[in-house]
Amino acid sequence: MIVTLTVNGELRSASVPPETTLLVMLREHLHLTGAKTGCDVGDCGACTVIVDGLAVNACLMLAAQADGRTVTTIEGLATREGLHPLQKVFEETGALQCGFCGPGVIMTSKALLDHTPEPTPQEIRTALTGNLCRCTGYVKMIEGVQEAAAMMRSPQSPALAGQSPALAAPEQK
Amino acid sequence: MAQDLMDRELDVLDKERVAPVETLRRSDEALRLPAVAPPTALPLEPPLVPQVGEQTRAVGLRAQRPDSRNHGLGLTRYIDDIALPGMLFAKIKRAGIASARIKRIDTSRAEAMPGVCAVLVGSEIPVNSFGPSLQDQPLLAHPIVRHAGDGVAAVAAVTEQIAQAAIDAITVEYEPLPGVYDALEALKPESYKVHGGDTNVYASKVIKRGDVEAGFAQAYRIYEGRYYTPGIEHAPMEPFTSIADWDANGRLTIHASIGRITLARCDLARTLAIPISRIRVIGTVVGGNFGGKNEIRHEPVLALLAKKAGRPVKGRFNRVEEFVASTIRHAFHMDYKTGVTKDGRLIARQVRMVLDGGAYCSFSETTLGKACILSTGPYEIPNSLAEGYVVYTNKTTAGSMRGFGAPQVCFAYESQMDEIARDLGIDPVEIRLRNMFREGSMSSTGQVLHSVKVKESLENAVKKFGWEVQS
Ligand code: FES
Ligand code: FES
Repeated sequence: MIVTLTVNGELRSASVPPETTLLVMLREHLHLTGAKTGCDVGDCGACTVIVDGLAVNACLMLAAQADGRTVTTIEGLATREGLHPLQKVFEETGALQCGFCGPGVIMTSKALLDHTPEPTPQEIRTALTGNLCRCTGYVKMIEGVQEAAAMMRSPQSPALAGQSPALAAPEQK
Repeated sequence: MAQDLMDRELDVLDKERVAPVETLRRSDEALRLPAVAPPTALPLEPPLVPQVGEQTRAVGLRAQRPDSRNHGLGLTRYIDDIALPGMLFAKIKRAGIASARIKRIDTSRAEAMPGVCAVLVGSEIPVNSFGPSLQDQPLLAHPIVRHAGDGVAAVAAVTEQIAQAAIDAITVEYEPLPGVYDALEALKPESYKVHGGDTNVYASKVIKRGDVEAGFAQAYRIYEGRYYTPGIEHAPMEPFTSIADWDANGRLTIHASIGRITLARCDLARTLAIPISRIRVIGTVVGGNFGGKNEIRHEPVLALLAKKAGRPVKGRFNRVEEFVASTIRHAFHMDYKTGVTKDGRLIARQVRMVLDGGAYCSFSETTLGKACILSTGPYEIPNSLAEGYVVYTNKTTAGSMRGFGAPQVCFAYESQMDEIARDLGIDPVEIRLRNMFREGSMSSTGQVLHSVKVKESLENAVKKFGWEVQS
């Protein structure tokens, strides 16, 4: 069957067997390997992508269910101008170690910040309950999401504005 | 004058060397992929090389990983993100029964399925064994199944779904055998012998210092306790995944998320009966190891499937296989007997431990050795005797995991330390300080220790946790 999605702003189609999950379609048919296969049964969140504004486990959604919808994957976050604040902060704080859970965690956090620009630590924790990380212990991730949220709320977001002089200045941390 | 000139020249050279890096770094900030490693948050002066008796300044500082930008961009290429042209997908049928003899395997329905390119069973494998220390593990069980996670047949097909359907279509007839599921049971002479022979013990170790009996004779009190720690799965986020690919000259390339390349090549060379020079193992970025990705697992099966099919083959464990067909941390049964003086000094300790090795050896010997060496704890004890045994049981294989046996024995000796402290009415911190290793102490193996910081560490921890000694 032919499935057509808007992925990271581009219209993409693929002919896939009906049992294909959104995760397999993204990874194997569209070669977007950012979303990971951690468990394939909805337990770990490594496969998280955003479908019509909501974070979903791509391993639990059939490609056919996503037909006609808008999908954002980790590959769609950074722009030519720079990194998404979450990506920038996660890099600077060392929030990821092996990184396997990273794309999922970042996408879940993005979906959260899109709806809740000023989340409390508890709200961040609740949002990330479906994302397992075996390496880090989550502390830096939760701090990172808060930092990114603050960055996104400030009018001159250094991560987004490629030309900002603040970019070259080292962070005071 | 000449000296002056030289200094100036050096200055210029220095600037030239430094400036471009700085410029590059600044432009990197705007680019998506870094070309220059990020400036680390760790101070370079004074040096981070540990100096004897000095604490390094790394603790408590933010550190960046050079690969973290790629992680955040989703660009890190883990093994499962790699696909070769024409690559097939493999699945392994797990026995699902812990102890049995395979009577018959029928693969005909699987072989007839469209999309299935190769089927493999244990009886066709010329050298059906592997293992990092003892080669006691079959690639695919034949004819004896020793634990439920043993593979009994494997399939390579054009998609994962077809491979799974083919696996489901394979029927295996088993004759159930008795089994042994407890390490202490496995020690008994009448127990079922997992690998035949007359014992389930496959490695043992004894470490002796002084004379424990004499120590116990002098003791004010003797404490005895039995401690147990269970098996634990590493549970990395990235499941075991590998790709096997043969070239036209009969050379094998394995892409795998593995931590020990050369060990993997040796083990593969023996099993596949080809020289090690014809085997290349490419270790990919590891999505979590924790000690579980130190040895080959399904790689020889993938290699044989790839050879049969004439195409590259990828295999990926599912979550259930991660638990039943990988290795786990050894479960430990530990008996501790400790003699102390009136003022809480340890004068004799006898340790006997039995490790549940599961169905195959893996890294059991290493784990046993380290556990025995560390079993007396960071304490100066003049008389000690540690004995350890690893036994086969019909359970998931135990192998290496962070600490190689050290956390298990730590649980036992620290638990007993608390019991002794409570009974003697000594503060738990104080009793440890009285017995702790110091500069020049001798360990149970006879090693004289230097740079001993255990006292400072404990005092620091006490302060940080707010456990000031109450007298
Ligand atoms: S792979 Fe989708 S939740 Fe684990
Ligand atoms: S960084 Fe390894 S699983 Fe999260």
